[in-house]
Amino acid sequence: MGCGATKTSKFNRRFDKDGHAIPAAITIKAAVLIQRWYRQYAARMEMRRRYTWNIFQSMEYADLQDQIKLYNFLGYLMDNFTRSSSERKLISHIFRENEVCRDAEWERYFSFTNIDVPDIYAGPRLTFPLDMDQVADLVEAFKNKQQLHSRYVLQLLLETWRLLRVLPNINRVSTCHSKEITICGDLHGQLEDLLLIFYKNGMPSLEKPYVFNGDFVDRGKDSMEILLILFAFLLVYPGDVYLNRGNHEDHIINLRYGFTKEVLSKYKLHGRRILKLLQKIFSWLPLVTVIDQRVLIVHGGVSDTTDLALIARVDRHRYVSSLRPPKKKTPSRINVYANSERLPETVLCKNTMGSLTFPKPFGARDSFQRRSLQDFSSTMARTLEGEFEVRRRQAEFSLSSFSKSHSILSTALSPDSEPDSSQLTDNSNDEWKQILDLLWSDPMSQDGCIPNEVRGGGCYWGPDVTEDFLNRHNLQLIIRSHECKQDGYEFCHNRKVLTIFSASNYYEAGSNRGAFVRLGPDLVPYFVQYQVTHMTRGLSFPQSVKRTEHTAFKALRELLFVHKSDLLSAFQEIDKENTGLICLNDWASAIERVLHLDLPWQVLHPQLLSSTKEGKLDYQGWFRDLALKKPRSQHIEQTMLETLYRHRSTLETIFRIVDTDNSGLITFEDFRQTLKLLSAYLKMEISDEVINGLVISTDTNNDGSIDIDEFMEAFRLVDKSRLERGQSLLKLKQDTDKCLTSQTVDNPASQTEDLL
Amino acid sequence: MAPKKVEPKKPEPKKPEPKKEEAPAPAPVPETPKEPELDLKSVPLEFTADQIEEFRDAFTLFDETPTGEMKIRYAQCGDVMRALGHNPTNADVLTVLGKPKTEDMNTKYLDFETFLPMLQHISRTKDQGTFEDFVEGLRVFDKEGNGTVMGAELRHVLATLGEKMTEDEVDRLMAGQEDANGCINYTSFIKHILSG
Repeated sequence: MGCGATKTSKFNRRFDKDGHAIPAAITIKAAVLIQRWYRQYAARMEMRRRYTWNIFQSMEYADLQDQIKLYNFLGYLMDNFTRSSSERKLISHIFRENEVCRDAEWERYFSFTNIDVPDIYAGPRLTFPLDMDQVADLVEAFKNKQQLHSRYVLQLLLETWRLLRVLPNINRVSTCHSKEITICGDLHGQLEDLLLIFYKNGMPSLEKPYVFNGDFVDRGKDSMEILLILFAFLLVYPGDVYLNRGNHEDHIINLRYGFTKEVLSKYKLHGRRILKLLQKIFSWLPLVTVIDQRVLIVHGGVSDTTDLALIARVDRHRYVSSLRPPKKKTPSRINVYANSERLPETVLCKNTMGSLTFPKPFGARDSFQRRSLQDFSSTMARTLEGEFEVRRRQAEFSLSSFSKSHSILSTALSPDSEPDSSQLTDNSNDEWKQILDLLWSDPMSQDGCIPNEVRGGGCYWGPDVTEDFLNRHNLQLIIRSHECKQDGYEFCHNRKVLTIFSASNYYEAGSNRGAFVRLGPDLVPYFVQYQVTHMTRGLSFPQSVKRTEHTAFKALRELLFVHKSDLLSAFQEIDKENTGLICLNDWASAIERVLHLDLPWQVLHPQLLSSTKEGKLDYQGWFRDLALKKPRSQHIEQTMLETLYRHRSTLETIFRIVDTDNSGLITFEDFRQTLKLLSAYLKMEISDEVINGLVISTDTNNDGSIDIDEFMEAFRLVDKSRLERGQSLLKLKQDTDKCLTSQTVDNPASQTEDLL
Repeated sequence: MAPKKVEPKKPEPKKPEPKKEEAPAPAPVPETPKEPELDLKSVPLEFTADQIEEFRDAFTLFDETPTGEMKIRYAQCGDVMRALGHNPTNADVLTVLGKPKTEDMNTKYLDFETFLPMLQHISRTKDQGTFEDFVEGLRVFDKEGNGTVMGAELRHVLATLGEKMTEDEVDRLMAGQEDANGCINYTSFIKHILSG
């Protein structure tokens, strides 16, 4: 370690303005001082970067809790209402194949031939079979923000569907000779990242095989373009491009995470058909890829029961969605019920619904109280089975020969059934679990295998399970994705499990890097990391840290607000003398008790609290600062609004499910019914007056229908005091900007948010 | 690297501390008998409960063990202390760690209980360096006496003298600070560092 001037030679001699030599020691002292200060500054930056990352991860965890709430609510509907009731009809359609068609009929439904492409369309015009030049043009077109015409979309998707149907469940790849295989993780609609990967690594080709490990869609805004590119490459290089299914390749998940919305807004006329076709395509995506029989690539992970031999045998396309179990092909037994109508309702469900106000703490994993995807789908299976039973009996009633009707009915009643119906009863449940495990699981550091109650599906698996799995299958490495990593990749389980994540800036600009990995015949991974920078171009490192931090805290404040009632009770419990004040330590522990986010609240407090008096916080005043935006909503009771806000993503997803024609509008009546159902489920009274109030607070079209997007906009939250500060800042900026030429900004709305 | 100049008695366990402001003489630090032996166990903890909780939170942020054991590597110790608002030199940190070997820095861990007295000791160091010191320090390089320093010179000094910084660190520090002539206005530079 340097500790002094090595040479007091002329080289290091310094002179002041009068030409006098400055003693070396003073120079050294100055240098050391600056160095100290710099190191402190760097350490503080590092700390902020770390806790910002923690906040984002906690937000994601909280968001996953929302997903569970959705399942719970759907389950509640299915459990508590009769099959024929209007309540269930609101949503049951997504769990059923409405049309009874065979593949050939589906092809007619998806026909594109009568879709005309207008002359003014300037995008790519594809001719099939595709070739590399066309795909390169397609990539270029998307780079230039063009959109592919729906005719070609449907055509491309149809070709893809045809190809996928002949692919096996397990892709088998080999690094013969000197081929290096590139593996990419989650892309989540972030086209920039895919383009950056192609730029750094070259596009897929015969010499450059690729594996894409699922989660191509949702969250980002270019999911459609990513899919089209990947499918186009798959069609041109079917032996060199491999796609694995991710948990987001699922039409019900897409309702919640934005892909459905993206497709419908980009393809207003044919979006619905495109979505339907994608639903099929997703179910036909292969489940895993194996390289050289040594490396497994799967989106989520494995469990202690994962069996690749079983996986190879399943009919993967029957597993359309995590929320929709496979239909039974042959009814197992004829059961005579005294009262057929009552059958579905008497189906027992043992599932207990988790608490909505207190999600299960992350640490305690012993009891699995929340409804899991598996539980849910079992419920679904039972109720659907009930439906089949009833239909069969009703049909049977009208036919003379029982056994004849039995076989005829089984074919007629089960859509999409193949002639060779394999027997399945508990088998399908096992297969169901196998697939859920593959797509949803996460690794953990402790040994063992426990249900993944954070995600509601799959499991957490430990190093011993990895070891066992690899040995049983004679493999040496598992490559998976599914979790965002700050550096784009991360090893665990003794370097036997590798997580690769390819969506950089996933939470916010600057939050994380993306990465891809290359494997040659030696199967030694070689990583390339990257980060899309246009969002942060022109920002120095500290500026981008600040910006990311700002977003994280905004989200955190929202979360704190929606738990206001619970937090208030927790504070009041501590503040027994009702002073309205609470000390910092108590504040931090109360928040942790309520939210269970495991965040360093003490470190974060300067950003969350504007002021403390002698180390004590006025908590009522604090809540007043975190208020909802719309003044008109003040007449609605605070807890009601807060609760609805907490469940807004569930609400939004339900709205989209209810919106059967995918128009983005729902009728006032459906809106009312949905809200009433949700509040009954939450054991909250919601009067018609309140519902009307909510409707009025959004700008409706006055034609009895409500725009879902506009309504959800009403729930955007702004911290009131920051709003006021922001408004004055904005005004100042506008005044000064008048003299300057303004630069184009991608999203003026988000620029304003920064000021807030 | 100890200079060969006037080197008074050199007590065995300690390296001469490179940064002792009191010594204007060309040789660094004649050994002052201030702390003959650093005994952390005898350091009384004067932090409040609230403060300790905050330190614990920050400590946890830097914990990179896969199972969250509340341990940090020796190499991270300085960072955590600085993140908490202190300003030790690297030498100070090494002292308080008990002068570990270089290879220990990344292989040895310390837990929170061990960390606290170290932090306490560091926080007691009187010469933390004030804002004025900082300005004075930079003024040394202000040849024209006009409030600017040459970026190139500053880079050179920071990378070759004192507790040398790496090129990356220097780049980070100076990012966006130099004007078209390669000069840095040091008052705004200081504000930039201190506002971080």
